[in-house]
Amino acid sequence: MRAVRLNFSKTGRAIYISHLDINRMMTRAVRRARLPMWYTEGFNPHPYLTFALPLSLGQSSDCEYMDIRIEGDMTDGEVMDRLNAVLPEGVKILSAAAPVHDAKEIEKAQYFVKLIFADSEKAENFCEKARELADGEELLAEKRGKKGHRKVMKQINLIDYIYDLKFTTAKNIVNIQCVLAAGSTNNLNPTLLVETLEKAIGAEHEMQYIVRRKLITKNNEIFK
Amino acid sequence: MISQKIEKILQEVQKPGRYVGGELNSVIKDKSKTDVRYAFCFPDTYEIGMSHLGMKILYSVVNRLDYAWCERVFAPDVDMEEKMRENGIKLWALESGDPLDEFDLIGFTLQYELSYTNILNMLDLSGIPLYSKDRAELAPLVVAGGPCACNAEPLADFIDIFMLGDGEETTVQLVDLIRKHKKLGSSKLELLREAAKLKGFYVPSFYDIEYNDDGTIRSVTPKETAPEKAVKAIVEDMNKVYYPESFVVPSIEVVHDRVTAEIFRGCIRGCRFCQAGFIYRPIREKTPEVVEEQCRTLCEATGYEEISLCSLSTSDYTGLQPLLTSMLKWTTEDNINVALPSLRVDNFSDELMEKLTEVRRSSLTFAPEAGTQRLRDAINKNVTYDDVMKTVRMAFSGGWTSVKLYFMIGLPTETMEDVEGIAQLGQQVVDEFYRNPDRPKGKGVQVSISASSFVPKPFTPFQWEPQDTMEELEEKQKHLYESVTTKKIKISTHLTPTSFLEGVLARGDRKLSKVIELAWRKGCKFDSWDDHFMFDKWTQAFEEAGIDPSFYANRRRSFDEILPWDHLDYGISKKFLMNENKKAHESVTTPHCRIKCAGCGANRLNGGKCDARSEA
Repeated sequence: MRAVRLNFSKTGRAIYISHLDINRMMTRAVRRARLPMWYTEGFNPHPYLTFALPLSLGQSSDCEYMDIRIEGDMTDGEVMDRLNAVLPEGVKILSAAAPVHDAKEIEKAQYFVKLIFADSEKAENFCEKARELADGEELLAEKRGKKGHRKVMKQINLIDYIYDLKFTTAKNIVNIQCVLAAGSTNNLNPTLLVETLEKAIGAEHEMQYIVRRKLITKNNEIFK
Repeated sequence: MISQKIEKILQEVQKPGRYVGGELNSVIKDKSKTDVRYAFCFPDTYEIGMSHLGMKILYSVVNRLDYAWCERVFAPDVDMEEKMRENGIKLWALESGDPLDEFDLIGFTLQYELSYTNILNMLDLSGIPLYSKDRAELAPLVVAGGPCACNAEPLADFIDIFMLGDGEETTVQLVDLIRKHKKLGSSKLELLREAAKLKGFYVPSFYDIEYNDDGTIRSVTPKETAPEKAVKAIVEDMNKVYYPESFVVPSIEVVHDRVTAEIFRGCIRGCRFCQAGFIYRPIREKTPEVVEEQCRTLCEATGYEEISLCSLSTSDYTGLQPLLTSMLKWTTEDNINVALPSLRVDNFSDELMEKLTEVRRSSLTFAPEAGTQRLRDAINKNVTYDDVMKTVRMAFSGGWTSVKLYFMIGLPTETMEDVEGIAQLGQQVVDEFYRNPDRPKGKGVQVSISASSFVPKPFTPFQWEPQDTMEELEEKQKHLYESVTTKKIKISTHLTPTSFLEGVLARGDRKLSKVIELAWRKGCKFDSWDDHFMFDKWTQAFEEAGIDPSFYANRRRSFDEILPWDHLDYGISKKFLMNENKKAHESVTTPHCRIKCAGCGANRLNGGKCDARSEA
């Protein structure tokens, strides 16, 4: 039995598949691909699949990672090819290799966000004010959290979660390039960042595209 | 193939995965190279529609033709509809993203009466006129099929053609028909004239209905090319008929997400309340070899981890033992679960029990339908108290600790004693659990009783019967709750206004088209969803139309009344149904078709052939 880490992308229509549903879809894909999966032992055996970091609904990504466990000596390349032959539109395996990092080592993620505004004036206004807010000490937002078993709303300062944040404009479009806290302890969803900025500025976009580009570890290495 | 306009609203709705398509095995074609575009519409949400076997079959049937492209359409949920109307976006098909008014054929499947308002809503969201008479062009042609087509008179004014019976062959005929008439540049009337001559095609506008002063039907007069009676289509040999080699695998979770293998069509039982038991006759089986091969192919194409062997009464399948013995070899190896829904208590054998324990354990469901032997005889359920007890004993000794029991209340001839019988039977099942010395220690038993409300349906022996009024049903429900004295029995019942409306629409006539439109205009949709159902709006709609709904639901019809579905021929003879009705009132049973042919008449449509009789 050995572990294979599969790097895959989620684009197009597939961005509307939730994390939970991706899990189910992949379970079926490994069946269709007839991979020599290692099954968990116990009353209800199932193939072993884990994912590095969930991606929010509606976001695309080329840095999704799924670990599987297989038996026998099938090569990484064949695992990848077989899966690609049976995956639906928008989900594609980009590479397969033995895992390097532990998913717990993930500390941040890089995102590209594209906001389309009604006109260039609105875009420029947003950009200018967003830069000021990003340079400030405090950018407060409400976030759902847990207190013991209870679900509560807690207030957090987004500035503490931002490693890098740049804005550029082109006509009515604002491009945001950012590195945000990611992982199981601290995590900032770019959607929350955009919402908070827009609320503070009083702006509202027409369309929003978010792409996750990289997962980065504590040691500033690209997650592999 | 999602436009930017749609993309924008996808960001603002719940479960956007319902609206985007792109699932594995969905079929994409070049629309410039197809002659006929077919939008197959399921008038409910994606999660429900994608669970439906008929749609999977017909989707594949059409897409096998290189000149036609079938796409899927579902009813958008309320939040999505709001965004669509706000942004002026028409309802689109999942594969191409194109709006419905660009299609040649729009086909609705009629699975339950309470989806009718959704049909109007979907047409309206597509910018297509609701009434058949207001659609002058050849395309889009609006058709509808499925079980409710056996009396879809309440929809008669909206639909151009009803497809009666099995759709595998008639759907291809329909596609060919519109292809031909598009090429010829024919009028809609010319197409309808040819359609009406085909078996399984019912053109409602070709029948003139006249009414008596009391609201009953005086006469039904066919015109144009329409036959006296429109006859349902049937597939002659289930082993030879096309069955899909792949299913679209939903990317999001749906209700039934698995391989479904149909093992036979029709039913030998003749339960007098059950419409499906009559309208799918005659019984036609697939051989175990064919079923197994279809299961294997589908598992490979989909990666599903569950197979459901589907029919109206799975334990009546003559090939069940050999099928399971052969199939479990590879399904066990591949960790595939085999589910057997629709089991009966009177032929649930030890061997079957053994097979069931080999597959994964889920809850067991049985349907005694009525609480006393007298009433079970009246409805011809042909299940005894001993059958029920023997089966639960087997289940409990097999390790099960919870069973579900299905009952109906409001059945013809029912008394309060029969209602109490439901609670008593539940209690006896609980007692049986504690009589088992090997029961799992420290675990209690859970008996779930589902008591739905009986709705009389066309083409059943109860088609003449009055439905219990809402007050009567509520009183019986209350009595049932009061008759249960233990927490080990849980009871669930249905909302009575929902059953009442279902009863009205099920046996309705054309006068109801107006009511459905009025109710829809008042905002009624998703009527089968308790949280959307607005009975007050329906009541207003009936009032405005000047129609008394209890005329349809609660009135006893005489045997000589012309029923709204009498000009449709589903093979079952009216005389047989009358005879069964009389026997019900005498609590006399009819043996099932393998014991003795009851002479229902359905085999007439299949050249005298019926798989129930081949054994005798």
